[in-house]
Amino acid sequence: MLEGAELYFNVDHGYLEGLVRGCKASLLTQQDYINLVQCETLEDLKIHLQTTDYGNFLANQTNPLTVSKIDTEMRKRLCGEFEYFRNHSLEPLSTFLTYMTCSYMIDNVILLMNGALQKKSVKEILVKCHPLGRFTEMEAVNIAETPSDLFNAILVETPLAPFFQDCMSENALDELNIELLRNKLYKSYLETFYKFCKNHGDVTAEVMCPILEFEADRRAFIITLNSFGTELSKEDRETLYPAFGKLYPEGLRLLAQAEDFDQMKTIADHYEVYKPLFEAIGGNGGKTLEDVFYEREVQMNVLAFNRQFHYGVFYAYVKLKEQEMRNIVWIAECISQRHRTKINSYIPIL
Amino acid sequence: MITPLHSSLGDRARPCLKKKKESGWAWWFTLVIPVLGRLRAQTIMKARLKGAQTGRNLLKKKSDALTLRFRQILKKIIETKMLMGKVMREAAFSLAEAKFTAGDFSTTVIQNVNKAQVKIRAKKDNVAGVTLPVFEHYHEGTDSYELTGLARGGEQLAKLKRNYAKAVELLVELASLQTSFVTLDEAIKITNRRVNAIEHVIIPRIERTLAYIITELDEREREEFYRLKKIQEKKKILKEKSEKDLEHRRAAGELLEPANLLAEEKDEDLLFE
Repeated sequence: MLEGAELYFNVDHGYLEGLVRGCKASLLTQQDYINLVQCETLEDLKIHLQTTDYGNFLANQTNPLTVSKIDTEMRKRLCGEFEYFRNHSLEPLSTFLTYMTCSYMIDNVILLMNGALQKKSVKEILVKCHPLGRFTEMEAVNIAETPSDLFNAILVETPLAPFFQDCMSENALDELNIELLRNKLYKSYLETFYKFCKNHGDVTAEVMCPILEFEADRRAFIITLNSFGTELSKEDRETLYPAFGKLYPEGLRLLAQAEDFDQMKTIADHYEVYKPLFEAIGGNGGKTLEDVFYEREVQMNVLAFNRQFHYGVFYAYVKLKEQEMRNIVWIAECISQRHRTKINSYIPIL
Repeated sequence: MITPLHSSLGDRARPCLKKKKESGWAWWFTLVIPVLGRLRAQTIMKARLKGAQTGRNLLKKKSDALTLRFRQILKKIIETKMLMGKVMREAAFSLAEAKFTAGDFSTTVIQNVNKAQVKIRAKKDNVAGVTLPVFEHYHEGTDSYELTGLARGGEQLAKLKRNYAKAVELLVELASLQTSFVTLDEAIKITNRRVNAIEHVIIPRIERTLAYIITELDEREREEFYRLKKIQEKKKILKEKSEKDLEHRRAAGELLEPANLLAEEKDEDLLFE
């Protein structure tokens, strides 16, 4: 948008960028992971985590320590940090941060819709919602009788409204399979986010657009892979692919016709970015496609920190923190189930 | 022998009865079947004894067959439980793997539960007359979670579903084995109780009754014999007495000898000689 935004960036967002870079520096290093992997019990894990930036976050937990408690506490921490960023942000950073929360909001909305349809108590579902995806109208969900009511009364106010309008007409909300709905919402969310970043221009676009393109292509590949052997038809599958990214439009057309994994691999071989990824599958580590995609995502997120004066650092930080949480939960599960053969299959970050 | 109903000293004076643990009059009935001491009763009792013994042998065979099956089931239960431990561990780990890749899908899964996909049919199996329930599982309906994890973690979710399906099948088998185990245990206890009852209560009772009948019969025989002897003696005495009487009367000359047809030389009635 503005040329020479380096001059003006720090006025509005400098403090927060400094803060987020500081947070990034406290992510767990390889040495920390090695220490964690050597723990025998969850108590050891807690002691090791106390030496890192996590500090005493588990101090108030009663015995016995379970993996889900660790997970909830870490998520609370991340939430706290994110809320701090959001509360101190100015436009257009606050819109950017809101876009980031949309993906969690989509999950929460799907959960609430499902619960409302099945007449479950709202309180139980609210507890299970992702805290980053909170929006003010959440408690009001149980008033709605049908999904269309839900949409008209409540969702219209949230940032998710345009995504719903994109996907379908309101009448079709009833019959649609919940999973298809979730994926369609996510597709339109990604497209809107991409447009926003592109319009913002500048370093943000340079950093965020490749990341989002990779996300779109990754979704296309994974959806195709997982839809082999299910009742999802090819046309339906095609409607779930986001309309941007390296694969758009020819790759997506080819992918929609793919029947099995090898065909997918040949399509991927046309793109020199994805060729080495697909080749890394299998091998000694038994890596799956998802694992290699996670690694690539982590790589791109780490690279985002090499440039300054853009909003991508916030996105990258949250994603990296989430990956770290997943890693810690994985190691904790392996320890608590005493199944240490695959304990090293976490994704190293730094 | 018939023991009297009451005794002032009770069982203490009768050492043969001291070992009986029950008190009251009920045990008296268990000692001997009240029956008259007749020959016909003896044949009846013998038949009953035979019947009881055959019954005892048959029941013993049934008990053996049940015990054999019981041991087999026990072995199978141990194997299945070990396998169960391994399979559950596998399944729990694949849950952790799926959570790592796909995030937290547990609430979605729990919310979408409506109908059971794996159902169980109960069938009956017969072992030596004991019916054992056997559970068999079957699938019904399609997988309503086919599209879960479409965007993330689909492979791990598929593996997870397979592992837990295996665990469920194993659980059904284990349930069926355990119910058979419990039912067989009951049946074996009952059969053994019956065998013991026949062996230690009914057969001795019949044998005692038989012994009693035999003693009664013997006694009666002795009585008869004694009576016969007495009658013979009496008859002899009577006979001696009457002979003596006869001698006296002959000697007194009161008694006329009746004419002896064979001894007489001359017969008056004969006109011509």
